[in-house]
Amino acid sequence: MTDHKIVGREEWTAAREELLAREKEHTRLGDELARQRRGLPWVRVDKEYRFETDDGPRTLAELFEGRSQLLVYHFMFGPSYSAGCPTCSSMADGIDGAIPHVTARDATFVFVSQAPLENLQAYKRRMGWSIPWVSAAGGDFNFDLGFSRSEQETREAFAPMLEAGAPPVVDHNARSSGTDVTGYLTQGPGLSVFALEDGAVYQTYSTTGRGVEFLMGYYGILDRAPKGRDEGDASQVWIRRHDEY
Amino acid sequence: MPDHKTGTREEWQAARAELAKLEAEQGQRNDEIKKRRLELPWVPVEKEYEFDTEDGKKTLVELFDGRSQLLAYNIMFGPDYENGACPGCTNLGDGLDGSLVHLNHRDVTLICFSRAPIERLTAYKKRMGWQFPYVSTYNTDFAFDFGLALTEEEAQQVPEIKETLDNPSEWIQEWADQVGAELKDGLREAPSWIAFARENGTVYHTYTVMAPDPFVAPYFSFLLERTPKKPPEEPRAWRKDEYPD
Repeated sequence: MTDHKIVGREEWTAAREELLAREKEHTRLGDELARQRRGLPWVRVDKEYRFETDDGPRTLAELFEGRSQLLVYHFMFGPSYSAGCPTCSSMADGIDGAIPHVTARDATFVFVSQAPLENLQAYKRRMGWSIPWVSAAGGDFNFDLGFSRSEQETREAFAPMLEAGAPPVVDHNARSSGTDVTGYLTQGPGLSVFALEDGAVYQTYSTTGRGVEFLMGYYGILDRAPKGRDEGDASQVWIRRHDEY
Repeated sequence: MPDHKTGTREEWQAARAELAKLEAEQGQRNDEIKKRRLELPWVPVEKEYEFDTEDGKKTLVELFDGRSQLLAYNIMFGPDYENGACPGCTNLGDGLDGSLVHLNHRDVTLICFSRAPIERLTAYKKRMGWQFPYVSTYNTDFAFDFGLALTEEEAQQVPEIKETLDNPSEWIQEWADQVGAELKDGLREAPSWIAFARENGTVYHTYTVMAPDPFVAPYFSFLLERTPKKPPEEPRAWRKDEYPD
């Protein structure tokens, strides 16, 4: 036997339909949210940013690769890291399969990180991904968008957390990335979205924190499993790189 | 200048902050739904089913592969489909492999079901380069018992199916060509996620969710929800090796 409530088919169907009404409401509001996201004003990006890529130096406009939309995931891989963030890595596993489909819809997807290009290339080979990955090392791009900060700024921004002791996932991810907590937190995860029109680049959207959870495909699936995420208060601590479980 | 409204960084930030409130509300609503999903009662599965897998015949409990939770996506690929599975379902399948290793380490076995015979599923899996186990429900009552497929008589009773058959849109006719089935047969497969739990040797059905729930969509659709351009209304899809250039 199980501790869970067990019923017959009819009772389950009634409970399921009640839940379905809520799921449908959530869907309707999600559609409205997508509409409002597209209603955000666009901000012209006037500064010239340069990136190191597999094919040499590129500007932000060149990263579009001829398409009109650019999705940039700020992958946490700072100069002090010896390997990419494990949580970002678990997202990359899912994003890899999405690339041909996103590309076919007039959008280019890239990872951008602050570590030197050769570190990104070596790690990408290890993980077997095909996602384009560019380095913003030496440039202001990640700093201007709020996804990189100096160690000094990091110590100030995270002072209460650093004094109280970092949450288990931060502590684990920092060590696993070969850096300390402050070094790890100099980088932040996030998605920035851009449009290209008549040669000008516009930022259209940006999100971070829980806003990037949609990229963690396994969470969406776990949310429909009988036990859910089943991780208590210690979110994400179980996540490893796919070759380190 | 783009047709879209543009603004300064400050204006964008103010609009983004307003939107963040809605996103947070939507996140809370999702948390509430997740809690209720976990509270759904379970229904014991008393009937014995035997499935064709790549490793021979298996019962439902054997599909758990030793884990306590089984999550399956039912790909529309009926015995009448001459050309292969539904392209939209195939796109969803492309997003699953990245989550496989992570879910397996959370006590979840992830598989896909279809009703076509196992030889055709295995060939299609090879063509798509998928890793997840792909299980055939051919010649079992399973798909019919759990609403993953409709008999011809049942299909005729569904108003949406009748409406589609009476007035097929251009894209749904193209879809029928893509899968190589007559629409009346093609529409008998239900794209759905289904979840089971295993406790003390008993299998329980815990959850099912069907299209048009947004979770029954390819992983990349969540990325496209955040792009500046609105995707087309019609859910026209292509297999990754069949995109028109």
